[in-house]
Amino acid sequence: MLDIRSLSKKFGSGDSAFQALKSIDITIEEGEFFTLLGPSGCGKTTLLRLIAGFEQPSGGQLVLDGKDIATIPPNHRPVNTVFQSYALFPHMTVAQNVAFGLEARGTNPAEIAPRVDEILEIVQMAHLRDRKSSQMSGGQQQRVALARALAPRPRILLLDEPLSALDLKLRKQMQFELKRLQRELGLTFIFVTHDQDEALTMSDRIAVMDGGTLQQVADPRTLYDHPANRFVAEFIGEANFLSGTVAGGKLSLSGQAPVPLPHGADASGPVTVMIRPEQVVVGSAGGNAVTLDGQIEALVFSGTDTHVTLRLENGDTLSLRAPNNSHATTTFAEGEPLRVALPVDALRLLPEDIANAA
Amino acid sequence: MPRNPTAAASESAVARAETRRRWSLALPALTVITLCSILPLGVMVAYSFMEAGQYGNVQWGFSLEGWRAVFLDRDFFDDSYIPATAHLTILARSILLALATTALTFVFGIPTAWFIATRPPATRAYWMFLITVPFWTNLLVRTIAIQEVIRADGTLNRLLLATGLIDEPLQMMFTNGAVLVGMTYVYLPLMVLPVYAAIEKFDFRLAEAAYDLHASRLYCLRRVVLPLMWPGIVAGSILVFIPALGAYVTPRLMGGGRAMMWGNLIDLQFGQGRNWPLGAALSITLTLVVVGAMVWYARRAAKGDATNG
Ligand SMILES: Nc1ncnc2c1ncn2[C@@H]1O[C@H](COP(=O)(O)OP(=O)(O)OP(=O)(O)O)[C@@H](O)[C@H]1O
Ligand SMILES: [Mg+2]
Repeated sequence: MLDIRSLSKKFGSGDSAFQALKSIDITIEEGEFFTLLGPSGCGKTTLLRLIAGFEQPSGGQLVLDGKDIATIPPNHRPVNTVFQSYALFPHMTVAQNVAFGLEARGTNPAEIAPRVDEILEIVQMAHLRDRKSSQMSGGQQQRVALARALAPRPRILLLDEPLSALDLKLRKQMQFELKRLQRELGLTFIFVTHDQDEALTMSDRIAVMDGGTLQQVADPRTLYDHPANRFVAEFIGEANFLSGTVAGGKLSLSGQAPVPLPHGADASGPVTVMIRPEQVVVGSAGGNAVTLDGQIEALVFSGTDTHVTLRLENGDTLSLRAPNNSHATTTFAEGEPLRVALPVDALRLLPEDIANAA
Repeated sequence: MPRNPTAAASESAVARAETRRRWSLALPALTVITLCSILPLGVMVAYSFMEAGQYGNVQWGFSLEGWRAVFLDRDFFDDSYIPATAHLTILARSILLALATTALTFVFGIPTAWFIATRPPATRAYWMFLITVPFWTNLLVRTIAIQEVIRADGTLNRLLLATGLIDEPLQMMFTNGAVLVGMTYVYLPLMVLPVYAAIEKFDFRLAEAAYDLHASRLYCLRRVVLPLMWPGIVAGSILVFIPALGAYVTPRLMGGGRAMMWGNLIDLQFGQGRNWPLGAALSITLTLVVVGAMVWYARRAAKGDATNG
């Protein structure tokens, strides 16, 4: 179990100082596939490098199995990294690359060869064991980098955007394989990506970061269904934002009749209301719902459904998905009026954005 | 398979045109190689088999005297042949001094190159400039400058005397040591440049990866850094060793007549010695020694590659 406690990192000093991480608190469980997700420059790599030991924290603690590892140099940490650039040793063969970590640690030579064979088997690279690492495709290098980092049996495997250099198809395949591997080995993975799809499909839990701070740590479903703030809602999936007011336990949206608050929500005053496009119902919905009228501004066909952009009467836009199945009754045309319903239980109130909106 | 004769003919015409085109592309390079390398070498080989002229130069006529004199001296008393031990001594000294120069430029050059390559990119050009400045200065001037430093009443001795470390000036000039100092100074840039290029090309993320994979600093240096810098080190060593072996300006100024090197011996035959065939034969001998060393090295490197790879 890795306990990251109020970890912070400042680069430089004086006027040019830059706070890359601000008091990060995360507990990563044994055998968890944990993902750091965030836009470029938010500090994902910095956090990973702190865990690997390449950077020294400016404050806070890194506790692995009850021991503070912050002062242990990288070569003595039970943690290995799969680098974004792979960083394979170009003068060595695949097998030599994989054996490196074991040899460097002084593993009994009799144990090295079987371990190398075993791990190459796992990543399906045994047939290329004598190939120079510079003579391989991106996907193959990726597997070797993975094998090399796995060979010394790390307690935690760190992966810094390991798939970003691969084309889409190979990437999907490697996502699947990485996940399978992680499950089979029962190993703790800390995985960095700025691709939300990748994060959602692979992770047990995701930490969404922005500007060196944690925005939310949760499993993919919770992140999607209950984003903690507007940043998370926007970063993960698509979101519509509407402004509303809460008064007397009732929510009124763009001049519509007040409706009860969604289940479990609690706020008062002006609020930002979020709804996912696929939750918007065409026509009217039964139960508690807000009904809105607008004009169809754009239609984009995307196979399984049609993306509809609606211009509401108050000037806001709302996007929704109309499924393209055979029992769909409504046909759409740009410029036509359309009535939609927003079921109350699909609405999310993002109260902490009051300050931002003002 | 029956072939269409006209097609075959035009095919071979195309092939011939292609060959002609390749030759014409290679022509400039071939001309330069012929004029600057093969032709002078041929002249030297020819001269080494001619007779010495009275006032230098060569006389037409085949003679093995030049080559004989490389290896054998005529005994002063009874005219019998004895091995030319003086030449052997000089050859041995040349090789040793060239090796020592290579070693010293290595010792000083690697840290220098490392220092430059790890500066911020903007200041690297400045450091490289400082390293190459002496290179634009005449060799003679540079050698005299280093002479000035180690002369009996030179900068170094005056400094040591002034600080009271020594009572009498050290005699450093005209020794093997002086030649070594001079040559190290003169050839240092030839080591620094290729090694710098190798270090600059080195991807430091590889060192980080090694460190991540439980390698100590020393282990990383041995298994990752040095192997990848090796081509640069070899190039630098060859660039220093070959001209150092044939050097004659620096040994002459720093070593005087006492610490003579092969280059000075050759120089002597074309000057005061007036024995051009011997001079030519000595030059060819040096060339053969260098080529022999290179072939040996290349063979070894190829074999090493085969066993490692
Ligand atoms: N050595 C350093 N010195 C100064 N600033 C740094 C250093 N390393 C990173 N930074 C800064 O810290 C911030 C976070 O960088 P980091 O590399 O962690 O981002 P990231 O989230 O990995 O981004 P990306 O998705 O682009 O890889 C960036 O603004 C970066 O400029
Ligand atoms: Mg990064």
